[in-house]
Amino acid sequence: MIKVRGLSKSFGDHVVLKDVNVEIKDGEILAILGESGAGKSVFLQHLIGLFRPDQGTVEIDGRDVTHLSERSWLELRKNMGYLFQQGALYDFMTVFENVAFPLQEHTSLQAREIKVKVDEILEMVGLQEAARKYPAELSGGMKKRAALARAVVLGSKIIFCDEPTSGLDPMRSRDISDLIQRTSRRLKCTTVITSHDVPNSFRIADRLVVFREGVIIAVGTQQELLASSDQFIKEFIK
Amino acid sequence: MADAEREAERTIAMSFLIRYISDFLVGTGNALFFLRDVLFCVVRGRIRWAEVLKQIYEQGVQSVVIIALASFASGAVLALQGYVMLNRFGAKEYVAQLVALSLVRELSPVFGSFIFSGKAGARLAAELGTMNVNDQMLATRTLGVDPVEFLVVPRMVACFLVLPGLIVFSELVGIFGGYFIGIYDAHIPSATYIHQTLRSIGYVDFFSGFFKTLFFGLLIGWVCCYQGFYTRGGSLGVGQYTTKAVAFSYILIVISNMILTKLILTFWG
Ligand SMILES: Nc1ncnc2c1ncn2[C@@H]1O[C@H](COP(=O)(O)OP(=O)(O)O)[C@@H](O)[C@H]1O
Ligand SMILES: [Mg+2]
Repeated sequence: MIKVRGLSKSFGDHVVLKDVNVEIKDGEILAILGESGAGKSVFLQHLIGLFRPDQGTVEIDGRDVTHLSERSWLELRKNMGYLFQQGALYDFMTVFENVAFPLQEHTSLQAREIKVKVDEILEMVGLQEAARKYPAELSGGMKKRAALARAVVLGSKIIFCDEPTSGLDPMRSRDISDLIQRTSRRLKCTTVITSHDVPNSFRIADRLVVFREGVIIAVGTQQELLASSDQFIKEFIK
Repeated sequence: MADAEREAERTIAMSFLIRYISDFLVGTGNALFFLRDVLFCVVRGRIRWAEVLKQIYEQGVQSVVIIALASFASGAVLALQGYVMLNRFGAKEYVAQLVALSLVRELSPVFGSFIFSGKAGARLAAELGTMNVNDQMLATRTLGVDPVEFLVVPRMVACFLVLPGLIVFSELVGIFGGYFIGIYDAHIPSATYIHQTLRSIGYVDFFSGFFKTLFFGLLIGWVCCYQGFYTRGGSLGVGQYTTKAVAFSYILIVISNMILTKLILTFWG
């Protein structure tokens, strides 16, 4: 369970998040919708300690993590995965090495066991053939799938995905959305995605949150949002 | 009216100056904190030697050819010019000493470091900067790994270790360049040239240059990694910060060389 209370964040005098309150339940897929610049990425990065809030608290599984040191966060992040918009794979490593990296860092597995595990994950995301390629040789969709593999390889209990479908064609968007849903269900992890892709978010999310200029203007299931009378929400999800 | 304009201009100039100075102080402070984080990893033994070796290989291989070329040419030019001057006093044999001492005490450490920061240093800054703007630095943190330990420390340690080796190599090649001219152009007997060279270089000469090199290695690694680590603003930013890294390295090498030379001459002769 992730609880966010009264979260505010500004850069200089630019207020990006204002009094954000959300509860994210274990095992659910929560989609954060909003136009670009609404503060979705900044919010998501607060949940994994890449930003510190100006005000408010973040609680993960009952533990207040708002003021943890970077050292403690590094420890905590071993149970989390974060999928960056462009993948953020190490470009000096192959896909295989990228996915193997967290295992080499944080487990005492032997090279052979790592290979088995990485092959298994790569098969799950459909990238067995690309294992020896470097990120520069991959398409945008493949990069995201490889990055997803890297994010979940440690068996993370929480996955964050920042705009998993942006920059992809409709087919690939569907594929990666379904893949995230499947992965999330299979590993039974709490999943938070940000997106401005309404149809795919509706397809895979259990609940949705709508951001507008750093403020949450709606929370609920697909039906609840569709039933909303708010003009902006109607426009946005049309 | 004119007075008011002048007043306004002065205020603007002052605010620029204040801004400039405060940026400079903040930048220096941040760079020192950055160095502290790096040294913290090093004293805790958090050095990934496999990465260090890879970096030593890359930085060394990348710079070695151009350093050899430049050193050979410098040694040769020193010998050519030195011969003209010394021959006027009928002391052309001293060309060997002139070449060896200039190279070992001053020229190789300084110009070798220039070349190294232009090649290896620029590469460090650009690599780290690119990782930064592609979110690889943040991704490292989300994977539970400290980017300073994983990406910066190996590069800086490699810099510190590889530069002294390159400079000693540069001194040897430079001396060979001088020897080449001495033998074929100035017609100094080979044995005389070698004898004069060996006789002229004392421990103090060698180590006064070598000590500076250690310092420059640390400096280049620090400045270039710092700029790369704090690169912002996409591919434009990578260009800007990389240029800054090299420019700062040059300036700091020149200034610290002056200070170090004075200190060494004062305390060591
Ligand atoms: N590190 C930063 N420094 C200053 N401003 C930032 C920073 N990161 C994001 N912002 C600003 O915060 C706002 C929200 O950004 P973001 O969360 O990336 O939006 P999005 O909803 O598209 O993901 C934007 O106006 C952006 O300019
Ligand atoms: Mg975003």
